[in-house]
This record gives sequence, C-alpha cells and structure tokens, in this order.
Amino acid sequence: MFVDPSIALQLVAFAILLGGIYGLVALGLTMIFGVMDVINFAHGALMVAGMYTVWWLTNEGGLNPFLTIPIAIVVLFVLGLAIHHVTIAPIIEAPQENQLIVTFGVLLILVSAIEIAFSADPQSLDIDLGSIGVAGIYLPEGQLYALVFAVVAVVASWGFLQYTQLGRAIRGTADNRDAAQYVGINVPRIDYLTFGLGAALAGLAGAVIPLFQQINPHLGDAYLINAFVIVVLGGLGSFPGALLGGMIIGFVHVFGQFFLPGSGYQIAIFLIFILVLLLKPEGLLGGETHE
Amino acid sequence: MSETQYGRLDRARLRYRRFRQQWYSTPIVLTAIFGALLVLPLTLNLYAFGFSLGTWISVHMLIITLVWATTGQAWNMMSGYTGQFSFGHAAFFGLGAYGTILLLNVVGLNPWLGMLVGAVAAGLYGLVIGVLCFRYDLRGHYFALATLAFAELIRYTFNTVPQLGGASGFYKPLPRTYADGFGLAAFQFEGVLPYYYVILAFLIVVTVVSLVIKQSRLGLYLFAIRENENAAAAVGIPTYRYKLLGTTVSAFFTAWAGAFWAMYFDTIRPETVYDILVNVEVLLPAIVGGIGTVIGPIVGAFIVIPLSEVARILVDLSGFDRIIYGVLLIGIVLYSPKGAVSWPGRFFEVLERNGLYENAIDDGAETDE
Repeated sequence: MFVDPSIALQLVAFAILLGGIYGLVALGLTMIFGVMDVINFAHGALMVAGMYTVWWLTNEGGLNPFLTIPIAIVVLFVLGLAIHHVTIAPIIEAPQENQLIVTFGVLLILVSAIEIAFSADPQSLDIDLGSIGVAGIYLPEGQLYALVFAVVAVVASWGFLQYTQLGRAIRGTADNRDAAQYVGINVPRIDYLTFGLGAALAGLAGAVIPLFQQINPHLGDAYLINAFVIVVLGGLGSFPGALLGGMIIGFVHVFGQFFLPGSGYQIAIFLIFILVLLLKPEGLLGGETHE
Repeated sequence: MSETQYGRLDRARLRYRRFRQQWYSTPIVLTAIFGALLVLPLTLNLYAFGFSLGTWISVHMLIITLVWATTGQAWNMMSGYTGQFSFGHAAFFGLGAYGTILLLNVVGLNPWLGMLVGAVAAGLYGLVIGVLCFRYDLRGHYFALATLAFAELIRYTFNTVPQLGGASGFYKPLPRTYADGFGLAAFQFEGVLPYYYVILAFLIVVTVVSLVIKQSRLGLYLFAIRENENAAAAVGIPTYRYKLLGTTVSAFFTAWAGAFWAMYFDTIRPETVYDILVNVEVLLPAIVGGIGTVIGPIVGAFIVIPLSEVARILVDLSGFDRIIYGVLLIGIVLYSPKGAVSWPGRFFEVLERNGLYENAIDDGAETDE
C-alpha cells in the first residue's frame, strides 16, 4: 500500500497527539487499579465531569479556559474523595466484582445527572484555537496544549510518586497492602488519597478535551474502554506503561481509522487487548502480576 | 404489644426457617411465583375499590421485566454458580437477537430456527471465550475485562460489516412475508399478551434448567469452584470442564432473551442489543435479587424494572431511570450483598435483635444459616 509521505507524516503527528491524550486518560485509571486493585468504571464519568466543569466555567462564568483547568482538577479531587468515602471505602475488602459493580453505579449516576443538568446535546467552548502548520503538517493547537498538559501531568505525578514521602507510601501500598500496613502506613488514608488523585487525573484528562473536541455526556465511554486497554497493555500501575500504551493505541486508532473501514480500528484495538490479556496480562512494562 | 403477638411472630419465624431448610421449598415458591405470573396480566384491568393495577403497570412493562429476569437467570448459571464474573453477556444477548433477525432477513429462516442458530452461535462464542480465558487462567479483574472486550469486539464487528447490518441494523419483516401471517409459527403476534406468555415460557424453561443444575451433583461442583477453585480441583473436580459448561449453557439461554427482544421490537441495532449498558441490565436482576439463588433473578427483575419504569413515568427526565439503576447497584452491594431473597430472613433477625423474642421457642432450628 503506497501512502504519500506527507500524509504519513500527518498521520504520525495526529497519532502522537491522540496518544498523549490516551496516556493522560489512562494515568488515573492505572493508579487506582495498581494501588487499590479496583477497576474504576466511573473513570470515564469523572472525565465527563471534568469536561463540563471547564465548559460551564468558561461559557457561563466567562473565565479563561486555561484557568478553569486547575479548578476542574480540584473539583474532581474533592468529588473523588466523596465517591471513595461513600462507595469504595466500606467494601474495599469485599470481592473484586463488588467494587466493579459499585463504580459502574457511580458511572450511571454521574453521567445521567450531567445529562439531566446540561442536556445530551453536544457542546463546545466559545473559543477558537486554530492550528499551527509546521513543515506542511497541520497541528490543531487545542490538541497541542492538551499534549503539553499530559506531559506535565505525567512528569508531576511520576515525581510525586518517586520522590516524596507520600508517593513512597502509595507505591508501598501498591506493592503489598498488608506489608504496608505492618510498616505503619495508614492504608485506608492512602486509599482516599489515591482515589482522589485518580479522580483529579481523570478530571484533568477530561478538562483538556473541550480544547479540541465537542463534548457530550457519553463521551467518556469511548475513552474509558480504550483506557482499560492501555492500562492492561502498559502494565498495571505503571506510569511509563500508561504513556507507552497510550501511544500504541493512539497509532492504532489513527492509522486504523485511515486504512480500515468503519470502526475497524476499534476492532483492532480489542484484538490487541485480548491478545495481551491472554499472553502477557502483566503488560508490556509491568512486573509480576499481583494475586 | 401483648404476649400472644410475640408467640405468633415466633411461630411464623420458626415455620419460615423450617420451610426454607427443605429441598422442596424453592420449587414450591417458584410454582407460586409462576402461577401468579400466569394470571397477573389478566388482573391488570380489574377495578377494585376504584383502583386498578393497570394504572401502574402495563403488560409491556411486565414483558421487559421477564426479559431481564430471563437473562439474569442465565447469567446466574455462569457467574452466580461458578463465580466467573462475566461483564460481557451483551455479546450473547446480541448474538441471539442478530441470529434471529439476520437469518430471517437474509435467507428467510423461520425465527424459531433462527433463535436456535443464534443460541448455538452464542454458546459457541461463550465456549471460545471460556477456552481462551480459562486456559490462560484469567481471574478476577482480568476475566471481567476480557469478557467485556469480547462483547465490545462483537459490537464493533456488527457495527462495521455491512453484511451484518452495519450501524443501522435490521428491521423486523412483516409476518406474512415469511409465514401465514401473525401467530406462534411467525413469532409475531397482534397485541402484546401473547408475547408475554412466550417470554414467560422462556423464563420458566431457564428457571427449571437452573434449578435442576443447582440441585444436582453438577451444581455442587459449580458451587465448589466458586467457593474455592483450587480446593475443588484438589478433590478431583475437573474445574476447567465445568466452568466451560456453565459458560456455554449461560450463553445459550441469554441468546433466547435476545431473540425474543428482536421479535418483540421493530428494529435492532448494535447500540440497542450490544450496548455496554446491556452488560449491566443482564446481570442487574441477579445482583439485586441474590447471586447464586434461583428465585433471586426473578425477584430482582421485579424490583429493578418496575421501579425504573415508574420513575421514568413520574419524573419526566431522560436518564432518571439510569440514576435509579445506579443507586440500586450501589445500595444493594453496600447494604445487602446477599440480595432481596435474604430480606425475609433479615426481617426476623431485626425483630430478634430488638428483643421481640423473649418467649422464643427453641427447637434446634437456630443452627441453620
């Protein structure tokens, strides 16, 4: 198959931009998955909450959209703490599927509440960011900013986990919850922090999306499913893995959309997912699987 | 309260406990439920004291309830009995629906045969999923995610391939184009009442199969796998084979409900029968009613569906019924993980805790739990 090199280059640019977003979406999910061993189905709904926070503050509150992004992060952190307090904390020791069902309940409530409050119609920000042309490649500015946010978020989260006392406590809890408890880490409090941070990261991922895309209450679903793929692909709880997985899925998505008919790219993504689940469930960059 | 009342409560509690200990208690309760369901739609329009059931429930609502009761019962046979939590039953539901309507549209196959083809296809797909997941020993989260991925795979495949209907799906053809007009042979009826009895028949078949499996040696094996798979394997139960069996049977019967769905509504599209929400609707009745019980999925469906339908009528907001689903999911898992079937027992427990049983008759039935 012959492709014009300029088209190929353009596709690569799109794939990197989208891959960055995907990586950002997967960050919060992989964190909660890795530390608490909870599949957070509400992750996509938390993203949607982030999207609508930015959209509402910008269009109704008249704020600069870039100012509203930090606000969305804080709002989602608090929302995450509340959700954890009500739904996850009481049953953290229960069988895994209980937590899965509960987070799905949170997804239904959040998305429906947002739909009732803001209607199901697509919305967009009242700003026009335009695009940059570099060497004949077209780069939408909104997506470029989103990528910058993604990179900053990854570096900041990684630094936090790697070099702070709290970060070490979180990593310790991820490695072994019981052992963490024995050495004096307050595991329930770490769970609160982790879920709050995971929700805040979901909020950030959602907050950058209105910069380049129309939003609707169900937009989280598509991102959520691919985020699961990325988390497993990159390795449970691995931040570099999330970024690598995001890039891989970004490339499959963009190139698949170009070369395959219909939603063929999504079929390819699921085939990759199933293969990874079966052959290497610990992921590309993951260590041993936790029991 | 007088002393005689305590005595009556004591006797009621003991009678209930003794009854629930008998092997025949579940069949008797089920017979009563099905008997009531047989006459229920006929009583909807009866007026008594200026009040009729028909103002609150419709036959359509009952049909939807029975569809999800059927899927809940089928899901239960795999996930409730063997503990292999499936989050991808929409694949089987959709395959049943598509098997029926696609073969009817493309080759004019009678929907009853199409339903069987769809059910066999769903069973085979379940077998493939099972072989892959169990061979590679996927457990817990990974298994749930894998079943979801297999369901989504099917959804996008049907969405993409035009020969499979694509995104717009299929219309249900008029009955005279492939049969002698409306009737049982065409799987299409004038009015909703016959549909009700068809889905009730499906539910009865699935329930009887479920009950027979549970009360047989096979059920014992399946539950042993759920409680402790390694221990079950250690005492010689071929766990792999039995997990496959549970998955296949469950997929087969879930497809029946899908086939009914396809013949009851006018169109089917990937978004209606393969949607992510379908994965939840399938299992919700079993969770709410009581996982691993035979009565649970039926009771659960009669809690979930009418509640959300009534809410939809009372509160005119799109999406409000999904909030009800969400609250139910969270509430049940947090406060009553054993489901609605445990409520009568709990009712007596609460009375006991409040000291209402001062004159409790002790006959040794206390040990049952």
